[in-house]
Amino acid sequence: MKRIARYTAVALILGLAVVLTLAFRRDPHDIRTGTVGQPAPAFTLADLSGNGSITLDRYKGKVVVLNFWASWCIPCKEENPALTDVWERYRGTDVVLLGIVFQDSTAAAREYTARLGNTWSSAVDDAGQVALSYGVFGPPETYFIGADGVIAGRHIGPIDSATLIKGIETLRRAVKK
Amino acid sequence: MTPGRWLIVVAVLATGLAIAWSARPQPLTDAQRVDRIAAELRCPVCQGLSVQDSPSETARAMKDLVAKRVAEGRTDDEIRADFQRSYGDWILLSPPLLSLSGLVWLAPLAALIAGVFLALGRARAPAAADGPAPTPEQRVQLADMLAEEEPQ
Repeated sequence: MKRIARYTAVALILGLAVVLTLAFRRDPHDIRTGTVGQPAPAFTLADLSGNGSITLDRYKGKVVVLNFWASWCIPCKEENPALTDVWERYRGTDVVLLGIVFQDSTAAAREYTARLGNTWSSAVDDAGQVALSYGVFGPPETYFIGADGVIAGRHIGPIDSATLIKGIETLRRAVKK
Repeated sequence: MTPGRWLIVVAVLATGLAIAWSARPQPLTDAQRVDRIAAELRCPVCQGLSVQDSPSETARAMKDLVAKRVAEGRTDDEIRADFQRSYGDWILLSPPLLSLSGLVWLAPLAALIAGVFLALGRARAPAAADGPAPTPEQRVQLADMLAEEEPQ
């Protein structure tokens, strides 16, 4: 009985060590749960610029980087240079950068994009329901959607250029195969 | 049976029926359904608060979405499944039993069963043997040793 108890304790400690090792190795920004691996929820939202609407279906066959943001969110401002870099780099290619502003007022969001000089399109998710359908916790969050319309990755928190480019290139390579 | 006893039996039965009648499932209004589902959902931006209890904007948006789905005629299970699809089982304050998160429920039960087995094992273990009784020679030796150690 004592031996069994001792073996069980050792097995539990080893199991805990393995779980902790795996957990500490994981990038906390890269959350592979929820909608990752699922078809990206469709949406049609008003364009922040005031010119018509934005529909995700319009970008089928392209790699879409979907960035959820808000003008009051400091990390969103921190990641803006990386988004600008990527926008300039992939402009006019098979890669689309799309913003979705939520939990914000349209006026504040317009002022924010004008002040930072953002020229990529953003959609207004007034009710926050598109954000909920993607499983967004809070701004900023970035989703990588493949040409097949499936969410391939998700990044929680401010994103940098290297992570953006890595995510985009992985999806572009998948399209070429 | 005497009439008095019959009266007691009838009274007990009537009380039981009254309790069962009052506890029968009542059809909920849409607002009550929204509140109940919101109370089962975790607010994603809070520390252990339900959507119903949280004043955050995200919780408000979630409750609005629940109300919209209820008005569309969706069932409670369908609405919960929508949130599970987006956020995983984590979004439910009470994770389903048949899932990885269900371990939360099973772990204490498993620990309890293991504890019971351990306690039973200990209780049934034979007590340490007392050994054979000392021989008369040993008793004499022991008495001598004690006498030597006694203070003069």
